Amino acid sequence: MLPKDMLSLKDFSLEALQEILQRAAYYKKKDGDVFSSLKGKNIAISFWEPSTRTRISFELAVQKLGGRIINFIPELSSEKKGENADDTIKTLQSIGADALVFRHSSPGIFHRVSQFVEIPFISGGEGCYQHPTQALLDIFTLLESGVKLSGLQVVMVGDILHSRVARSHFYAFPVFGANLTLVAPPVLLPLELVPPGVNWSYNLEEVLPSGDIIYLLRVQKERQGKSLIPSLGEYTALYGLNEKRLSLLKEDACLMHPGPVNIGIEISSGVIKTFENVYPDRILFQDQVRNGVYVRMAVLDLLLAGRVI
Amino acid sequence: MDLLLKGGILHDPVNDWEGPAEILIKGDRIEAVSLSLGPVEVPVLDLKGKIILPGMVDIHAHLREPGNEGKETIATGCAAAVAGGFTAVACMPNTDPPVDSKEIVNYIKERARQADLARVYPIGALTGGLKGQEIAPMWEMAQEGVRGFSDDGRPVMNGGLMLRAMQFALVLGLPVISHCEDLSLSGDGVVHDGVHGYRLGLPVIPAVSEAVMVAREILLQQKVGGKLHLAHISAGESVALLRWARESGINLTAEVTPHHLLLTEEAVEYFNTSAKMNPPLRSSADRDALLEALQEGLIEIIATDHAPHRLQEKEADFLNAPFGVTGLETAFPLLWTKIVEQGILSLSELVKCLSTVPANLLGVPGGNLTPGSPADLVVIEPHKEYPVNTDSFFSLGQNTPFKDWRLKGFPVLTMVDGDIKMWEGKVKGFSKDFPELKGLFIKQGSK
Repeated sequence: MLPKDMLSLKDFSLEALQEILQRAAYYKKKDGDVFSSLKGKNIAISFWEPSTRTRISFELAVQKLGGRIINFIPELSSEKKGENADDTIKTLQSIGADALVFRHSSPGIFHRVSQFVEIPFISGGEGCYQHPTQALLDIFTLLESGVKLSGLQVVMVGDILHSRVARSHFYAFPVFGANLTLVAPPVLLPLELVPPGVNWSYNLEEVLPSGDIIYLLRVQKERQGKSLIPSLGEYTALYGLNEKRLSLLKEDACLMHPGPVNIGIEISSGVIKTFENVYPDRILFQDQVRNGVYVRMAVLDLLLAGRVI
Repeated sequence: MDLLLKGGILHDPVNDWEGPAEILIKGDRIEAVSLSLGPVEVPVLDLKGKIILPGMVDIHAHLREPGNEGKETIATGCAAAVAGGFTAVACMPNTDPPVDSKEIVNYIKERARQADLARVYPIGALTGGLKGQEIAPMWEMAQEGVRGFSDDGRPVMNGGLMLRAMQFALVLGLPVISHCEDLSLSGDGVVHDGVHGYRLGLPVIPAVSEAVMVAREILLQQKVGGKLHLAHISAGESVALLRWARESGINLTAEVTPHHLLLTEEAVEYFNTSAKMNPPLRSSADRDALLEALQEGLIEIIATDHAPHRLQEKEADFLNAPFGVTGLETAFPLLWTKIVEQGILSLSELVKCLSTVPANLLGVPGGNLTPGSPADLVVIEPHKEYPVNTDSFFSLGQNTPFKDWRLKGFPVLTMVDGDIKMWEGKVKGFSKDFPELKGLFIKQGSK
């Protein structure tokens, strides 16, 4: 049996995750076919934080499976306390939603509300806690690109501290056999956060040569008010992927990014252009976005069916 | 009333008593303590198999009144106190309005008098409105009976102001109680800066935010030399600083809570808001350092930091749920079961931490059962084990991480001024079936 909810990938066995990925591959292969596994089902989607790609890909996933979308757009300005989300969730369940897809800024809110919700609850990103479908679509993208995950060296660079994607990958990459190395300045990489078996460094240039995958994370501009680092410019000088550092990469190293990309901060526009023009197979940003739809179709399908087939 | 307590085992470290004792109470005083008092013409209470201790004095509780009577009132807080074996409670000034004037001090005293359960000693605000800007009218509040000063919950970030307040408290002979936390380091944090908090994606209150302020207070104390007391120490770094202070001959006291002694950051797993408090639960290394500090006597006081909240407030998201746990009704059974029975402290050492030292620091009666002193005592049932049942709490707050823990050592009788306030879980004025005591006593046949 699958768990009722997808809040953290940790609740899923490797076999369950593989089942979801196989289903996603099936949907990608059959793209264009008409599916009806969500026929008559109402999927409530409510994002309490800004989002473009995650939200749209969930919507598209529902549509491709023949389901109906209940789109609840909260008044983001009045989103301060958890109570509002609670009421919304209860309301959505009462009016007949068959599953809930939520994004929220407060870590732990989904654990709490999922206890009074009987229908599947799928996280579309929960504060700094987890972003399970993003990690799954990353794994899907890698498998699709033909790389072998076992022994793969993944170098993850950026704001690890505030990244829910990183926290989901603390489980996802290792469970599929990949080795993870985290790179960031100390303020964004508290060592208590580094799980056992995961490597870390404060020095990007030192670890770049070892990476089969360079996974870039956004450095969130909105956090700059806290003066975590001297400036984005100084971050870029030390941790940005620029032309100068390209020579340090393995010749078949691939780039990934969960988006949205801050061009000129974690990666220079020159590096993006070089990859797009010269090594288009090694920059996976758009593949990640594209695959999000199929992975979310699989998640919705299997969680609503209640089991892995 | 006059009463003879017979058959119990008394632990009174001040009088170096650890063993069977008969205690004669006349009116509101201890009349005599002896191995055998011989025949006396007063009602007798048979306490065979029970332990008798000086009433416990909680130096750190939040009774919420005035202003937050939905969380707790002075009456319900005092009921919780006597239910938990506390005969006196020092209440922190972060009420609404805060305790920063004689009017509020007198209001609290009046409410405590009406409740007629535990003794209540208000702690006055150190700064007006707890705002950390101007020193509160300390003399005026001292005249009305506050027994210490603190901005607990809101650390005094201005070191100069803290120094001057400590200097004035020196003149008044009253302790300053510091909540050690550098807000510029703790920010909007809600959990310890350890493995569990970071994994959950929650903002942190680093251990160092406490330790740097402990260091500041120790150095200020070296300069001032009054009574400084450090509230709810949670971090190993702070313990190291306390050790340095002791070695340097700087006198101060420090307290630790039962929850910091018995739990670690692991308790916040699954975003458990009942384990959300400030300072936060820290690592097992920190917890071990606290236990060691307790054994070494670097930390001499155990205080509850009783912080009741409404259930629905605690059911909010982890970020939004208020800090704090209730403590008055669980402290002794926890400490008996997990500290004394585990051999970490002897019972007499625990009595010093819970009764003698806090009473001395506040400069109030209690902490011993010397003849002539007020008959404030508690009787413990040491053997029977019960689960912590939050439904039976007298506190309005049920926010405890110890729910359903199976514990021994629940108090069965609490006496203040010779008057029985709690009997077998029933509290005077609260429990309808608070017993008609006379029927319970065996009349001693006079000879």
